[in-house]
Amino acid sequence: MNLIRRLLLLCALAPAAALALDGPAILAKMDRNLEPENYEMTRKLINEEPDGKRKEFVLYSVKKGRDKVAALFLQPASDKGRSTLRQGDNMWLYLPNVGKPVRITSLQSVIGGVFNNADILRVDYAEEYEVTAASEQGDAYLLEVKAKTGAVAYDRLKLTVDKKTVLPTVIEAYAASGMLVKTLRFKDIKDFGAGIRRPATVETDSPLYKGYKSVMLYAAVKKRDVPDEVFTLSFMPRLEELRK
Amino acid sequence: MTHGALRRGLGIALAFLTTLVPSALPSAARAADYSFDLAEIEAKPYQISGFVEGKAEHLRLRPDASLYPLSFPGQPPRETLDRGTASFELAGKLKHDKLTGYARASGSAAHDAFDTLNAARLLEGGLRISPAEGLSFDLGKQVQRWGKGYAWNPVAFFERPKDANDPQTSLEGFVMASADWVRSSPGPLAAVGFTPVVLPVSSDVNRDYGATGHVNLGAKLYLLFEDTDIDLLWAAKGSRPQRFGVDFSRNFGAKLELHGEWARSIGATRRVLGADGTVLSETQNLDSWLFGARYLTDSEVTWIAELYRNGTGFDETQLATFFRLLDEAFSAGGGTQAQALAQALAQAGYGRVNPGQQYAYLRMSAKDPFDWLYFNPALTLIANLGDRSWQVTPELVYTGWQNVELRARAVLLNGDPLSEYGAKAVERRLELRLRLYF
Repeated sequence: MNLIRRLLLLCALAPAAALALDGPAILAKMDRNLEPENYEMTRKLINEEPDGKRKEFVLYSVKKGRDKVAALFLQPASDKGRSTLRQGDNMWLYLPNVGKPVRITSLQSVIGGVFNNADILRVDYAEEYEVTAASEQGDAYLLEVKAKTGAVAYDRLKLTVDKKTVLPTVIEAYAASGMLVKTLRFKDIKDFGAGIRRPATVETDSPLYKGYKSVMLYAAVKKRDVPDEVFTLSFMPRLEELRK
Repeated sequence: MTHGALRRGLGIALAFLTTLVPSALPSAARAADYSFDLAEIEAKPYQISGFVEGKAEHLRLRPDASLYPLSFPGQPPRETLDRGTASFELAGKLKHDKLTGYARASGSAAHDAFDTLNAARLLEGGLRISPAEGLSFDLGKQVQRWGKGYAWNPVAFFERPKDANDPQTSLEGFVMASADWVRSSPGPLAAVGFTPVVLPVSSDVNRDYGATGHVNLGAKLYLLFEDTDIDLLWAAKGSRPQRFGVDFSRNFGAKLELHGEWARSIGATRRVLGADGTVLSETQNLDSWLFGARYLTDSEVTWIAELYRNGTGFDETQLATFFRLLDEAFSAGGGTQAQALAQALAQAGYGRVNPGQQYAYLRMSAKDPFDWLYFNPALTLIANLGDRSWQVTPELVYTGWQNVELRARAVLLNGDPLSEYGAKAVERRLELRLRLYF
């Protein structure tokens, strides 16, 4: 009888122990460990084909608060001067020769390849997703998150987060149909200074692009607070003015 | 496709491919490791960018079409025409503190059996002072792109008309002074912007904008309200009638965007050719509007659809009357007076790229279909809903080589001989274009 009582007690306490894991707090902590809330950074995006042929893009971006991001293409020459802006679910693209911003959606891709606009203009995960499940497995937290609105690029994410650094190691992105859309792998933790220590390489592959790979290399991540007006359509042609 | 001009055009294209493309592909030969040196993209006070382009075209002509004498004035009838074109666009910026000087210029040389034409233009060029992120002043030749439409913009009060066949082509600006003020704030009204414009027109400056001797004023008020872009636009009476309008654009979810424009011209005068051959001047308020959508499917096909009502345009009967006048004026018995009238009416509006009243635009473009990375096929349909004539453009763009864009497309026109697309001088055009960015 005692054994039965003990088993019943264990069954009752097990979910409570799982609930004790604060998924939203882990997600928020991971967001801050990846980037400061307000920052500027320079990244290189590489699209690599199965035969090793590559196409490279360099972007300068600034972020403010939880949901404002702007990015400027510095390379290649064919894309130089293009800028993209995101305010929450709103996204715009500015082409220098067209001379005006046009609205784009998060699922489109301004560069082609595996990365889409939501990957390039990523805001905090906690801004777009809510945690639906949190658990532990060895040295990692496992989080499952669901998009808060239909405007978010991926319906669900499964995140593997390193317990010690509270940084992601693998993120799987799923469509509403349940299909795996892409997998992001975070590598090469690097000290960027001023207390920013994060993965310097993010590799992405997708079952939709078999054999293709996209890589994001982070060369500079700095805290920087720019005025709110930087994240407006008027400033898109002038983003270059922020670079020092 | 054996004409000398076409061979020259293809020669230009092949020269680019054989000499320049390999140099644009150094990354293909690199080792598998990745590297990124910030020195590659050091910020400089100046910037120069642009492209050179080679284009070869094969045109199937309609020597009997109404618009043939206006498209190829004084030229004998031909069934085909091959054309080679070399062109460039060069843009530069020089920045010192809060002052930025900028310029964009283009040039082209085209050769076909009829003519050899060279052209060079300053598209924009001026000075900008930016005292703050939310405030700037511009003086010089500028391109003000107002409106949310993809193929047409009824509210584009201070720009030259864009070509619906190539809506993303750089446009030439007008000399003007403008300011841009914007304020961002939390809450449902996330941004407010204000853009006043002053555009003088004299015999020396902006003569092609409208009547000379006026200083034209206008303004745009921009609001980002509840995730919707809204512009309220106004142009005072001057070289052109007073106009005002509104536009909007909004995303609905991750796949759909809707946009629209509406504009009214107050007391606009237009010359209309009557059935009896008399020309009437009509003065009235004219409304133009556009409604459009952009939709991305699960298979990454982007659809753009637009309906356009051009208040300043002509209905199918008026257009057919004008095409009949052209047929008579340039027939064996036609006189110089009738030809002069036809040319004057063409300049007064009948000769615009899209002179009709009601249009539909549909574009379908696929991103990397069938795992063909960097191949972007597209199909574009432009139809005059009044006379039911249309133009369809299949195209294929390849951007797989760094800084190189290769585009092949065909433009096919169809319609009754007295309809917009049936009266044009070209029945179909095959085009191969190679563009190298630097």
